[in-house]
Amino acid sequence: MEATTLGIVIKAIIILAIISAVAGFGTYLERKVLAFMQRRLGPMHVGPYGLMQILADGIKLFTKEDIIPQNANRLIFALAPAITAATAFIALSAVPVFPDFTIPSWIPLLGGTFVPSVAADINIGILFVLGMMAAGLYGPLLAGMAQANKWGIIGAARTAIQFLSYEVVTGLSILAPIMIVGSLSLVDFNSYSSEHAWLMFTQPVAFVLFLIGGFAETNRTPFDLLEHEAEVVSGYATEYSGMRWGMFFIGEYANMITISVLTAVVFMGGYNDMLFLPGWLAIILKIAFVFFLMLWVRASWPHVRPDQLMWLCWKVLMPIAVINVVITGIVIMV
Amino acid sequence: MGLEQFKNRNVGMQNYRMLDLGQTPTRSFDKFKQVVKRTFKGELFVGLWVTLREMVNSLFRGELHTVKYPLEKLPISPRYRAIHDMLRLLESGHYRCIGCGLCEKICISNCISMDTRYDENQRKEVSEYTINFGRCIFCGYCAEVCPELAIVHGSRYENASEQRASFSLFEDMLTPIDKLNLQQEYDGFGAVTPYADDHIKKTPLAY
Amino acid sequence: MSDAKAVENLITITIDGKEYKTKEGEYILNAARANDVFIPAICYLTRCSPTLACRLCLVEADGKQVYACNSKVKEGLEIVTQTPNILEERRAIMEVYDVNHPLQCGVCDKSGECELQNYTLELGVDSQSYMIPDTKRETANWSSVLHYDAGLCIVCERCTTVCKDMIGDSALTTVKRGGAELDKAYKDTMPKDAYAMWNKLQKSVIAPSNGTGYTNCSDCGECIAVCPVGALSSRDFVYKSNAWELKRIPAVSAHSSDGFQIYYEVKPTSIEDRSEKIYRVTNEWNYVSLDGSARFAYDFENRDAIKDQKAFIQAIEAFKKAKTIRFNSVITNEEALMLQTLKEKMGLKLYNPEVRAFQKFLAHYAEASGQSLYSTDADAIMKKSDFVISVGMALRNDSPGLKYAFNNVQKMNKGAGLYFHPVGDTLIPSFGKSVECFIHKAGMEEAALYLILDLFADKEKLPEEVKIYINSFKRINKETIKEKVMKEVVETVIDEETGESKEVKKKVPEMVEKEIEVEQNGLVELLGKESSVFADTFAKMMSKKEAFSLMVGEDFYYHPKAENLAKLVALIEKASAVNVVIAPPKSNALGVALICDLDDEAEGYTIGYNENGDFKLSALGEGDLDMPAMNQQEGTLTNMSKRVVPTNAALAYGGYELNDLVRELIGAPKETIDWTVKLPISKGFKAVEFDTLSNGYTNDGVENRGYLLDILIKETQMPKVEKFNEADALEGEIAYRCNPARQFSDFTDKAHEIFEPFALYASRAKAESLGEKAEVVFENGSIVLDVIADDKILGDIVKVPDFKSAQNVYELFGGSRYKNVTIRKV
Repeated sequence: MEATTLGIVIKAIIILAIISAVAGFGTYLERKVLAFMQRRLGPMHVGPYGLMQILADGIKLFTKEDIIPQNANRLIFALAPAITAATAFIALSAVPVFPDFTIPSWIPLLGGTFVPSVAADINIGILFVLGMMAAGLYGPLLAGMAQANKWGIIGAARTAIQFLSYEVVTGLSILAPIMIVGSLSLVDFNSYSSEHAWLMFTQPVAFVLFLIGGFAETNRTPFDLLEHEAEVVSGYATEYSGMRWGMFFIGEYANMITISVLTAVVFMGGYNDMLFLPGWLAIILKIAFVFFLMLWVRASWPHVRPDQLMWLCWKVLMPIAVINVVITGIVIMV
Repeated sequence: MGLEQFKNRNVGMQNYRMLDLGQTPTRSFDKFKQVVKRTFKGELFVGLWVTLREMVNSLFRGELHTVKYPLEKLPISPRYRAIHDMLRLLESGHYRCIGCGLCEKICISNCISMDTRYDENQRKEVSEYTINFGRCIFCGYCAEVCPELAIVHGSRYENASEQRASFSLFEDMLTPIDKLNLQQEYDGFGAVTPYADDHIKKTPLAY
Repeated sequence: MSDAKAVENLITITIDGKEYKTKEGEYILNAARANDVFIPAICYLTRCSPTLACRLCLVEADGKQVYACNSKVKEGLEIVTQTPNILEERRAIMEVYDVNHPLQCGVCDKSGECELQNYTLELGVDSQSYMIPDTKRETANWSSVLHYDAGLCIVCERCTTVCKDMIGDSALTTVKRGGAELDKAYKDTMPKDAYAMWNKLQKSVIAPSNGTGYTNCSDCGECIAVCPVGALSSRDFVYKSNAWELKRIPAVSAHSSDGFQIYYEVKPTSIEDRSEKIYRVTNEWNYVSLDGSARFAYDFENRDAIKDQKAFIQAIEAFKKAKTIRFNSVITNEEALMLQTLKEKMGLKLYNPEVRAFQKFLAHYAEASGQSLYSTDADAIMKKSDFVISVGMALRNDSPGLKYAFNNVQKMNKGAGLYFHPVGDTLIPSFGKSVECFIHKAGMEEAALYLILDLFADKEKLPEEVKIYINSFKRINKETIKEKVMKEVVETVIDEETGESKEVKKKVPEMVEKEIEVEQNGLVELLGKESSVFADTFAKMMSKKEAFSLMVGEDFYYHPKAENLAKLVALIEKASAVNVVIAPPKSNALGVALICDLDDEAEGYTIGYNENGDFKLSALGEGDLDMPAMNQQEGTLTNMSKRVVPTNAALAYGGYELNDLVRELIGAPKETIDWTVKLPISKGFKAVEFDTLSNGYTNDGVENRGYLLDILIKETQMPKVEKFNEADALEGEIAYRCNPARQFSDFTDKAHEIFEPFALYASRAKAESLGEKAEVVFENGSIVLDVIADDKILGDIVKVPDFKSAQNVYELFGGSRYKNVTIRKV
């Protein structure tokens, strides 16, 4: 069925609403999972099992005083969190989050509207997503530079080197799957894996490199150098408070979801039905697993030094990615 | 006995055994080899396994360390010096304090004061007694010096209050007469934790 | 002078191998103490007779065991304070003291300053070898102030000793305890002295000596002070405070003119009220004995005074229009100097009837004798004198310090005493066997002084007319007396068995009338004693007496012929070996008399300082402007011993001081004590800063307080004295202005431990005839008083107290202490 404007708008609203909510819920999950892994209970007091904690946090973030430092560039300072949040959600627009569906006809007004799996099924989906995420670099970078704080500057510098470097790894690692599938559209990836084996098995090296790059790009442990408390206080977010800081937060979690969805779609068979599982459930479980993996890694591993980070990127991961591309090319040719 | 051991002034070496960490790689290839070794040895996955295991333990086996503090409290050590209690005589229910003033004298932060008088039974009566908890440093000298085991350290360690005076009067510290049967003797400073034997562990050297 | 004499008598003794210098005739214990050598002793009191109750002071002198408290030093004596045997005895003694001593140090008031605790620790008693069944011993209240816990008593007899040898009341004694008998086996097994001590201890306990359970004494509380344990304490102080919580503030008693050195002991009032309060008064009881007012009248402070600016401005205005300042003797030297300065700068009159008479008397005395001040004091009398004479004062009431001296001389110096007073007293004759009391007619004080001249003066030195005048009283009388003569009679006795008659010689007494010549002294007769009897007693009294002292008191100052009395006193001092002390009436009377030029009359607008007036400055809390009481201010007092002694502020005071007023009026230094250096050198004061004045006693009992006034001496002729008129003697109903012991002023009355009421005091017989209430009618007014019987008064003269300034008793009596009055039952 052809995607109508209404359907795309609905999809966009769903993504915005649900992903923001899920991003918030993600913080709850993160705290809970980390707590359990450390034999703690985590948030327990707001609502049953602390489920309403995000609500409390939200209220807190909304009602906190909004501070802009005296010497900050006020415009850029105010703009930077919006860039992070916006790029994160824009990136999601090209990602198939759910299978296509039609709103049941008994619902008034919207009944019978077709909602596509991807808000914008552009044929260069992956490129768009990666590009948008790369553009997200501007958020932390500008934030760090605008706030007139040395920790912010350091955070911004780290942002620049880390995001730019690992953009290379992510791009090169995903090149091999693209070569196999022969398309940049994520829908095509999904279709490919409905007929072939999951790409994580045929392209394990690319899968691992993509995960590592994804961790780095979403600023997750072990690559959370941008705002590592022990070193740079809070990095680019040092001077931010209230909802401005909350937007960075949402952006970060939206990015985590984006990476999770990309991984699930590209490497883990997408939203195809799986054995007895319907496709929508299968993709949710896959996304959830990748998300969980991020938390799990955070609970387990220490983070790396900036020099190790660079060394790892340029001397190890990038060459491997190139080699992987070359070998894949050779295999396809043969 | 020779003097050799005294002449060896290289202190700090004799009694230590160095861990065999191997050579730090110097050549680039060696460094590469070390990275490869560490990467494929699976040490990273050991870390993942440990956290996952603990998660399973905490979720399904109830091995949680969290104490939901205001709702549940851990028993404190008998040596703990919390807010003072004034004990009563078990037989008569009369308070034990005889007003000798030794606690007042020994108090190093000068926070105890008392008024005494000659009462109708020709005894010394403590007409007023107070500890200024804004000043008390909970050193425990008062409990140590008390000849009648009257002033002791109790178990109330939550001393946040809206008024400093909240627990400082004799009546506040005195065992309520209807709870005389629940009155606990204070084991004092050398006291051993209950079930101390159970808590003794071998020093975990095998880490 | 006395110091130089003492140096001559120094001898050398050896204690524990070290040589020390000491005075000859000193007890070993005192010699050791003076040289800072420690010999344990519980029962001994300096200035009192040794009781030998504790036997702790056992030492070895020249190889022989003696008690240090009752054996005297001699040249070259070698003393060892510790031998194995002595240590064993001492430890056994302390163990015995600890037998059945209640283990209630926790509540005992004495804990911390208890000699039983101290010596038990000092002698290392860590186990008990003796035991005996305990006797139930009850606590008792012996008077309005005395509380006795017999259970704690170790019967050291210090209380009975001090009461007898120092205070003179002899109100306490040891009685049977009814305790169990000692196990005979102890006699052989335990050290000898410890056994003897225990044997005595087990049998005795302390009780009032009149057998009633109430001491009926002067309530001086000295027994409380000397008690080494918690047995005797003040009823008010029982269980109030531990000794170590109290802060001691050296001061001077503010009430009697003795100026006793005291310590106010202060501590916060309560948990809520952290302002300090005086809990008790203590003293260096080895060197000074307090009277009841010094010990118990301590809480007379002006509480809650604030700087009331309005009242202050009013006070300034009052001063500006005032003509007279009326005040009394309860002020410091500094304040007296301020008032004197006000007088000089503003032309105010200073009116102080209390001191004015004394000042005049002192001036007459100085003029006649050439000495600005009298020659002796209570302390010197106790140390040296062995014959004391008291004239013109109710010794018991007016001057406790002189009373103690009078008594102490009898007890310690084997002394004798003469007491002249119109109001008979039952206590003074009990001081000693050689005390003679003359109950003479009021107004006959000159006769008493003439008698003293007759008895003590060197006749060579007396002016001729005085000699003739004295001799004019002497007559040789032929008296017929009956004499017993043994006469020999021969009787015929018939033997009943044999029937024989026999002549037996037998001596039978027979009264024979005989005429003898007797020298009769009209002066003695005039003073109410049988002259012939007195001649014999006096001869006995005079034997072996060397140092004579005369105490004269307030009666003289208010005598119509005070000037003649002063001259007579001066004459006595010049013509005989008698030293004189002239007792200042109250508190700082001597200081005021020396510093202020007092006026005879008040006129115009009057400012009363602790006295009645149109504008009242008062430390009693009821005046128009608050002033600090004596325990709230620093300053110096001049006491009877001619000493300028410093007193300190024990309690906080929030109001204005006299110095503030003076500064506003004529300018003054910052502090009251800045006036101390300005005290008039011409009157014998010294330019000494207040802060350099010390206030204490050294270990050998030397009074190290303030400084002594300089006595200015100029050469004079023998004073010219007048004859007296026998017709001056007062007849009829007489009132005597005299305070009960312990009451001196409004300040003593304010204190809560002083109970003596403002009432008419009379002998029991007189009181019974008067009923419960009486009106005493004077020429210029009358006063209605309750009647209180005082067993120690003899005769019909009644005592009217003056300690309440509001009652204006001074006005009623005018210039005299004795007045003819009409007393009506009400």
